Amino acid sequence: MFALYKKEIQSFFFSSFAYVLSALFMFIFSVSFVTAISDMTSNTLKFTFSSIFYNNFFYFIFLIPILTMRSFADERRGGTEVLLLTSPLSVAKIVAAKFLAILTVYIMMLCTTLFFPIYAACTGQVMWAPLICAYLGFFLWGMVCIAVGMLLSSLVGNAIIAAIIGEIIMEGLLFLDRFGSSALVDSYPKLNSLVTWFSMQRRFIFFSKGIFRLEDLVFFLSTGAMILCWNIIIIEKRRWSRG
Amino acid sequence: MTLKLKRVTLFMVEIKHLTKYYGKHIAVNDIDFQIHDNEILGFLGPNGAGKSTTMNIIAGYLPSTRGTVVVNGFDITEQAADAKKCIGYLPEIPPVYPDMRVEEYLSFVAGLKGVKRKDIKKQVETSMERLHITDMRRRLIRNLSKGYKQRVGFAQALLGDPKILILDEPTVGLDPAQVTEVRKLILDLKKDHSIIFSSHILAEVSAVCERVVIINKGEIMAIDTIENLERSMTADTLLKLTVDGSRETIERLLKDIRGIKKIVDITETANNRFTCRIELENEEIRNEIMTSFVANKLNIVEMSMDKLNLEEVFLKLTSQKKKRSGLEEILEETPEQPEQPAE
Repeated sequence: MFALYKKEIQSFFFSSFAYVLSALFMFIFSVSFVTAISDMTSNTLKFTFSSIFYNNFFYFIFLIPILTMRSFADERRGGTEVLLLTSPLSVAKIVAAKFLAILTVYIMMLCTTLFFPIYAACTGQVMWAPLICAYLGFFLWGMVCIAVGMLLSSLVGNAIIAAIIGEIIMEGLLFLDRFGSSALVDSYPKLNSLVTWFSMQRRFIFFSKGIFRLEDLVFFLSTGAMILCWNIIIIEKRRWSRG
Repeated sequence: MTLKLKRVTLFMVEIKHLTKYYGKHIAVNDIDFQIHDNEILGFLGPNGAGKSTTMNIIAGYLPSTRGTVVVNGFDITEQAADAKKCIGYLPEIPPVYPDMRVEEYLSFVAGLKGVKRKDIKKQVETSMERLHITDMRRRLIRNLSKGYKQRVGFAQALLGDPKILILDEPTVGLDPAQVTEVRKLILDLKKDHSIIFSSHILAEVSAVCERVVIINKGEIMAIDTIENLERSMTADTLLKLTVDGSRETIERLLKDIRGIKKIVDITETANNRFTCRIELENEEIRNEIMTSFVANKLNIVEMSMDKLNLEEVFLKLTSQKKKRSGLEEILEETPEQPEQPAE
């Protein structure tokens, strides 16, 4: 499994792919950081990283399908899927290796943003507890989005189409909360509570405010695991129906 | 702790009642065959016969609808990981990553197959040497020619020192010199491996394989050694005749002789010298032919019993519609209507 994980990591870092995405992410984060500083009110001289994270996720979520689009679609297109599926690795291990590799790239991208709080800590005071919580929420939400992106790459044989559908789904995930609070859904309390329960944005808000709830942690982890299991089933199903 | 039970089997690969459906279409229909230790088994069949499907099932890429595949004592479905460790598979299209370098790719595959880290380098070196791609080790696979890509694909199949090699058309895209090299390599690999080898080039199968499986429309038409197939399918009634004379006269005389099932071919070997291959109902008709030709003052240069070559056996078997369970049945088959000699 490590061999596949290593190969996936190398495919990101031996090309310009991961660097371009990281640079783009850093650029967006820098703009948000500068904007937050310029928006500071003159009497308090305070700004929160949580709000920067919150705003950034709306941009970042669109980078995830680009990160995940090739994971399975390229294997199918290039005929290398046969190599993986005839190796002693189980499908679950193949999915896990690819997921962990993308997750590693994602963590590295997140690590680049540590520059800003460290810089802020050098020049002022940083409230570390809500910051760590925001990082955790950002990581967990991103993790679920990566699982969704990989599932799409597995479902759709073409990387570009997987990315386009991924962007649409990410958009849908973002606006699930808004949809839940719309007048239409509001008039059906049960539907409203169901949509709200699935809303990741609402859960992320707690993290970004520095509130750690076990319920949210379990939600993100179980949703991610469920989507990965679904991915395994999709690949196995395709093996059975291939012809 | 899980207990790994290895089945006791006499064969390296044992296939029983293997059936594969794609929706309602049956691709492989209840096939049975075995592969012995250190044997090269040829897999022959026209396009769409079910060769690649069968190979994919043995390699564990596709699951079967029914039946079992036991590889070195491990069931490919129930003990997939153990069974797959015993298999090196080269599919029709070599499964290579174009963005990787040759050595890097082979090291990755070795790791994927669970080769111990300390052995990876040695195994990669050995497989590169065997396929003569050591000079290409630093090249990006995307920049290699089709023949070299094929060799890289072959090299990956050797990693992990598998007991069984499944080679789906391994010589496609190679130049004649490389084809000869690969044939030699396959014969050399036989010492330590059992090999399933599919090819469209029948001469290649004749040169490399000991036994062949002829498959058509998902059903096995025959399994035997090439020699037996050629001899048995001919059933000792194929006459080779070399005569001096004109084509028209030879054809006319042959047509007049009763008991000739079919004129297989007539080829001019020299000026006014023709070699004919004729299928007879029985050997006694030879005397009639000789008498008829001598009476018409045609000089018989040579007369001998011949046998069909593998290509003819293949065509004969793959044009049959019914499934035969064994070679005996094929031989027992009596023609419904004796064919008239060709015009």
